[in-house]
Amino acid sequence: MTRNRWNNPFQGIQSQLSRRQLIENTALGVGALAVGSLGLPRAARAANEVNFWATGTLDIGDDGWEIFMNESGVKVDFTDNGNDPGPVIAKLAAGNANDIYDVGGLQGGSEKELAKRGLISPWDLSQIPNYTSLWQWAKDIPYLTYEGKVYGIPTVINADSIIALREKAGNVDSYGVVFDPKLKGKTAMEDAWINSVTFTAIYLKNAENTKIAEPGNLTADELGLVMEFLIKHKKDGQFRTFWNGWEQGLQLVVNREVWVMTGWEPIVYAARDRGVDCYYAVPQEGYEAWGNNAILLKGAVNRGLSKMAHQFVNALLAGFYGCKLGTRRGYLVPTDNNVAYATAHSAAFDRAKVKELGEHVKAKFSSKVYWQNTRPDNFQLYEQWWQRLRNA
Amino acid sequence: MTLDSIVTGRTNGGRLLFTAIAALSLTIMYAPALYLLFASLNPDEQLRLVAPNRYSLTWYGALLDDHRLFGALKESVFIALATAVLATPIGLSAALAYRAMTRMRNIFLLILLSAVFVPGTIEGLGLSVMLRFARVSPSWVTVTMGHLLWTLPFAATVSLLGLSAVKPNTIEAARDLGASPMRAFVDVTLPLMRGSLISSFVFAFLLSLNEHARAYYLVGRQNTLPLHMFGAMNSGASPTIYAFSGAVIVVSFASVALIFFGVARQQRGDDGERRVRRRLESVVVLR
Amino acid sequence: MTDDKVAGLPAANAFFLALPSLVVFVLMGFTPLVLIATWSFWSFDPDTYWIKPVWSLTSYVALLQDGRASVLLRTAGLAGLTAAASTLLAVPAATVVGLLSGRRRAALLVALFTIPFFTSGLVRAFAWRLVLGREGIINNVLISLGVADTPVEWLLFSDFAVVLGMVAAYLPFAIIPIVLLFARIDQSVIRASQDLGAGFWMMFSTIVLPLIMPGIIAGFLFVFVVAVGTSMEIQLLGGAGASSTSIMINDVMRVVNFPLAFAIATVVVISLIALVIIANGMLKLSRLFEELGT
Repeated sequence: MTRNRWNNPFQGIQSQLSRRQLIENTALGVGALAVGSLGLPRAARAANEVNFWATGTLDIGDDGWEIFMNESGVKVDFTDNGNDPGPVIAKLAAGNANDIYDVGGLQGGSEKELAKRGLISPWDLSQIPNYTSLWQWAKDIPYLTYEGKVYGIPTVINADSIIALREKAGNVDSYGVVFDPKLKGKTAMEDAWINSVTFTAIYLKNAENTKIAEPGNLTADELGLVMEFLIKHKKDGQFRTFWNGWEQGLQLVVNREVWVMTGWEPIVYAARDRGVDCYYAVPQEGYEAWGNNAILLKGAVNRGLSKMAHQFVNALLAGFYGCKLGTRRGYLVPTDNNVAYATAHSAAFDRAKVKELGEHVKAKFSSKVYWQNTRPDNFQLYEQWWQRLRNA
Repeated sequence: MTLDSIVTGRTNGGRLLFTAIAALSLTIMYAPALYLLFASLNPDEQLRLVAPNRYSLTWYGALLDDHRLFGALKESVFIALATAVLATPIGLSAALAYRAMTRMRNIFLLILLSAVFVPGTIEGLGLSVMLRFARVSPSWVTVTMGHLLWTLPFAATVSLLGLSAVKPNTIEAARDLGASPMRAFVDVTLPLMRGSLISSFVFAFLLSLNEHARAYYLVGRQNTLPLHMFGAMNSGASPTIYAFSGAVIVVSFASVALIFFGVARQQRGDDGERRVRRRLESVVVLR
Repeated sequence: MTDDKVAGLPAANAFFLALPSLVVFVLMGFTPLVLIATWSFWSFDPDTYWIKPVWSLTSYVALLQDGRASVLLRTAGLAGLTAAASTLLAVPAATVVGLLSGRRRAALLVALFTIPFFTSGLVRAFAWRLVLGREGIINNVLISLGVADTPVEWLLFSDFAVVLGMVAAYLPFAIIPIVLLFARIDQSVIRASQDLGAGFWMMFSTIVLPLIMPGIIAGFLFVFVVAVGTSMEIQLLGGAGASSTSIMINDVMRVVNFPLAFAIATVVVISLIALVIIANGMLKLSRLFEELGT
């Protein structure tokens, strides 16, 4: 059994609980001890081990993490957090995530509330030399900082738009195609208001000149307009379905269940690998930008792992991780270190391809881009409207 | 007990209709599983059926290297076994208690059912908060606790069903012959309940093996199998997860076949014994 | 009523027999329930994005808005439909196992009915998309047979797909309880009825059905309970943004409105328990679980 010191929110009552804990822990621990002696997994933890609890899209596989360890000295234990920010935040806020995991990786936007409640610690940038190599606009994303301190280190960045099947949908250059009655029942959007509402707002703002200030942060009135639009189209049967998660999205494209859908760019790469002629559209209205960031869990600091965690995050930006992730999935770590690494290790990585991925994403970001945020000002109102959409 | 079915002879189309519906049920249940089995023989990345001449065991080979999946599988099997081992006897005792009660019955039933109606995510979250307060660190123990809550009502109900098949005459006969209540229970009731005890165990095992909502909040670092699958589906799965389902089907079929033919051979031996014994009995009776 | 005759144990032991399960439920089940119910009456704190101990009914009022109540009803309805369909299939299937098969074949069939559940439910539900989809097996067969010109759209991303997926997944839960009760049926009684000239259907409805009724009800309850709490099939096979109680709870937790999530859970528990109480009263469930009279 591990002997972690837990991040106990009820510290005042600690001493009173101690005997009770002992009894309970003994009762429950007897079985665990018996089992522990059978050598079941996760009995003890290496001194340089950091647990990275992140969405599976940030994973580079056991072989990848092995090379990572050889280069950085940090042993990474990767646990998939399920990709859904809801349960992740719940497990952090109310559950036991701080007792188990060290560094988290999830969609940006929730850093402020986690920081406020003391669930995450600020990063000490002096321990992350590679931070300076990050592209400036990645460092400047507003929700990464709170009260002057940096809580999120950008790990993956991308700008999303539409996946389209060339043979069925022709040349797509506008989000209007998703709402086009000619394609009724042949389109899909993601089952997440974070993405889909922003896309619709981008479209309405630029194509139909609806009065919208920030598509990523709608006021109550703007939200009402956008959602009414979506509800109308849903009722008309415009959408074949809403998709949730990589396999679902990919399957819709590869099986030609839908002809156009808003979605993640790597789905295009994977679909092409499977012989489907699809492409990622360049819409006139602009892209939706998002980022996955690394956050430092307070529990790790309490366990004395702060230095290791900083070393880990520094290594993420060192170049190998970026090359590996880019090759494996097509996701980009926003630093020039990737190209440098690929140049130095030309046997392992194709420098041209790594450079191309970087240039491609940079180009997208230099055009019209609107940032996504898991916590817009009216975020609870978003959810209420999404319920109405579900029930329409 | 003969090997024949209870009903023989004419059934006015009953046998035909019922067998057809049973076949339909099996078809519905196996459609996705068999699809997975055959599609996983497709060496391409994309999950789809291909012509038999392209079949290959590529993904099964890759499955053997998938350490993460096996780690999750080990954890899940262990938790499921622990849950079943605990749920079966506790469920049996709950069923016995229910039978023995008179006025408190309905309240007891409601207590049993209350935990099963709580939506899994909330139950898991609530339990994890309590466990955190009690300083219990998350691990397979905490997952088993959550799963025990989930499977106990099922185990208790199945035990109740099994108990209802035991005739009071049988027990009275045993008691008349001098057996103490405990002996009557162990030697008569329990063997008669064997089917339901096995079902209780298997139900608890399977329910735990497939449960992910509660497990999400109760796991330690090692994800359980459903959580692994859930994560893979959301973030990008290698076809090894489909090969895994195919492998489970094949292994299960093989085990059943082995047991089936093993038992069949043994029973043929038993049959002979039984026939001889019956002949002896008839001789004794007639005399 | 001396039920102890069956177990063979004196009635006084009831309390001790109940103890293990009570320990489990009171210790582990009751405390989270109390916590959940309490927190559902507290308020969301916009400063900390957490809960503050300010008593209010806002969460319960919110349940009546945005169509949330209809989600609860719809989930229960779909679960009930699934349970009903499963039971309709399970009774004949279980009869084949328990009445119309020899012991070896019965055991084999039971094993067959159970095996799919060893594979991952999530992956099985996903596989239905490939079977029912526009380019899936069923559509391919229908088109090649000339029955349909274009792919049938409602096969997937519809209530039909959801119910089919759920029935396929949870049918064993309906079948096994019924099979267990065939042990109640005395072969001699069946033979006697046949000798007296009763046809199969007469014999089935007057002798078999009443005896297996507890199993039928238990099976219905099992499927209903599992179906009401699942979200996989609805998410994978339902239409655009189809919702269920679990999905709604996740949505609400995603915006850290925990009091509302707990309120939903509390309402679900109370209504389902009320449902059981009503069903118990109407169907006299407790009587059904007693043993046969002589």
